Amino acid sequence: MTDVSPISANPREVAAQIFRARAHSAEVEARPQSEITNKPRSFNPPMPKRYYYYLMAPAIAILAFISLYPFFWLIVMSLQDVDIGGGEWVGFKNYVKLFSDGRFLDGWWLLAQYSVMCLGLQVGLGVLLAVVVNSSKYEKYLVTALLMPMMMAPAVAGLLWLFLYNGTFGWYHWILQSAGILDNASILASANTAMYAIVLVDVWQWTPLITIIALAGLKRVPRDQLEANMVDGASPLRNFFAITMPNLYPVLLIAVLLRFMDNFRFIDSVLVLTGGGPGSATKILPVYLFEVAFKFFKLGRGAAIALTLLIVTIILGKLLVRVFEKPQNEKG
Amino acid sequence: MASRDVVSYDTPLSRALKVLAGLFLALYLVWTLLPFFVMFVSSFKDLLEAFKLPAVGDWAGITVFFEFTPTFKHYTSLFTENSFGTYILNSLIAAGGSAVISVIFGSLAAYSLSRVDFRGKQDLFFWIISTRMAPVVAVMVPLYAIFRSLDLVGTLPGLILAYTTFNLPFAIWILKGFFDNVPFAIEEAQMVDGSTRFQAFRSILPLVAPGIGAFVVLCILFAWNDFLFAAIIGSGGAKTLPVATRELVQPQNIQWGSIMAAGVVTTAPMMLLGLVIRKYLVTGLTMGAVKE
Repeated sequence: MTDVSPISANPREVAAQIFRARAHSAEVEARPQSEITNKPRSFNPPMPKRYYYYLMAPAIAILAFISLYPFFWLIVMSLQDVDIGGGEWVGFKNYVKLFSDGRFLDGWWLLAQYSVMCLGLQVGLGVLLAVVVNSSKYEKYLVTALLMPMMMAPAVAGLLWLFLYNGTFGWYHWILQSAGILDNASILASANTAMYAIVLVDVWQWTPLITIIALAGLKRVPRDQLEANMVDGASPLRNFFAITMPNLYPVLLIAVLLRFMDNFRFIDSVLVLTGGGPGSATKILPVYLFEVAFKFFKLGRGAAIALTLLIVTIILGKLLVRVFEKPQNEKG
Repeated sequence: MASRDVVSYDTPLSRALKVLAGLFLALYLVWTLLPFFVMFVSSFKDLLEAFKLPAVGDWAGITVFFEFTPTFKHYTSLFTENSFGTYILNSLIAAGGSAVISVIFGSLAAYSLSRVDFRGKQDLFFWIISTRMAPVVAVMVPLYAIFRSLDLVGTLPGLILAYTTFNLPFAIWILKGFFDNVPFAIEEAQMVDGSTRFQAFRSILPLVAPGIGAFVVLCILFAWNDFLFAAIIGSGGAKTLPVATRELVQPQNIQWGSIMAAGVVTTAPMMLLGLVIRKYLVTGLTMGAVKE
């Protein structure tokens, strides 16, 4: 606050001063990050540029070897019939086959179902949880407790839930049975319910991620707007939907995209819990790909499937990067 | 957050909301922490005791859960009947190795990317981040073929390299944001005072050191928890903890006691590390999108 003159006796002037000071601090907070931090852009880099290139060269080289080179190989492999022995060129046969492959199309459909269910539950629960935690005195401890599931290896989480879901001695099975939701069969044994089982595990492990992101978003909700609205007689609920939620959207978008991509990335817990079964009720695309490539070692076909998966992720990634850049510039 | 400036009155509605919120929080905490509790307690139970359940609908019978005599036999069997000592070592080497490689090369790259502008930088960035975001199974198909021809499958160096596929882009991405926050003026002032470029770079290291340390830990966490790479690329010679734990599930004989114990062994160190770097955890887990 720059110009705080001696406090005047006139209450009106005091009020005006306070108002000005607040407006000023709000303006400072709202300034884009780039104005505050000293980005080197405004300077001439004092080292010759090539010095910097030397510094980044090793990392780029390693990355090229483990990312670009394999990507090139992936394309080559997808045009071949590769299995354990070696490969022969088959042109686009692998791709053509995909269109008549029911499992492949089902895989995409199941992946979509799985992602939408996971995200719906996680965003709903996560935001609700963030609001509740945000108004609690014990926020710090609560967040620490909530973070814990994310520290567990997804494969171990899968095994743990396999134990909890077990039809004869699983505690969650017992709870679901006692509550009258399930009959004798385990939730994993029936094709109708297995999908819910893997969704629940994902929700258990990753809802906290949405919560912490939403919490950070809640801290940015302008307080004066909330106050003004309350003075005007708005109820807390109305306040939430009219002011808090619109302010949360940008961060929630980041959260949703991150989780979306992770649902494509990690299948550890699904592999451990159901392996895609029963039947192929939970054979979401990455699981199907795993089966084709590493159970039957049809690497060529696997490469074609992998490429479709990669393309979708790259599109999502483009979206993510765009969103990443925006809210940071706007809100700092 | 209720503002201090505006007096808020307790209306019946807000009181009801508060009760509901408390209830929701309590239920959620139970649902989130119960699995850990069950895992921890079950790892000390004899199998027969671990399998004991009350009759369906008999909610009062929950006390059955606590009727057991603690035993350490599952933990000892991990190290005698299975060689979990070796697996822990494998996990440590693979995760630690890739974390150190990633952060050393990643921080050099991140520093220079933060300090220099050139054409195509955005594209380079996008390539880096998409490497990190690519589905593990999809990356593994060509990587497996390449590693097989180089005889890297089933070796620790192979696994370290495989983990670097996600840790190195992560390190570059996160640490670049980190260096961006260090004012360039510090280095400039150093150089005006006559220090060399390298000395100037060294002068800002203390500022970023805690963060870099935290991200080493985070890289370890990601690699330690990986299952897919370890199951395929590490299969055979470089078995890590999650894979070894999974292998306790055998078709005829699922050794639940040992699995729970192995789960505790795998999870506990990561939970502790998570607490140690708590401050950076949120930034790391959200790819730098959220700073706490």
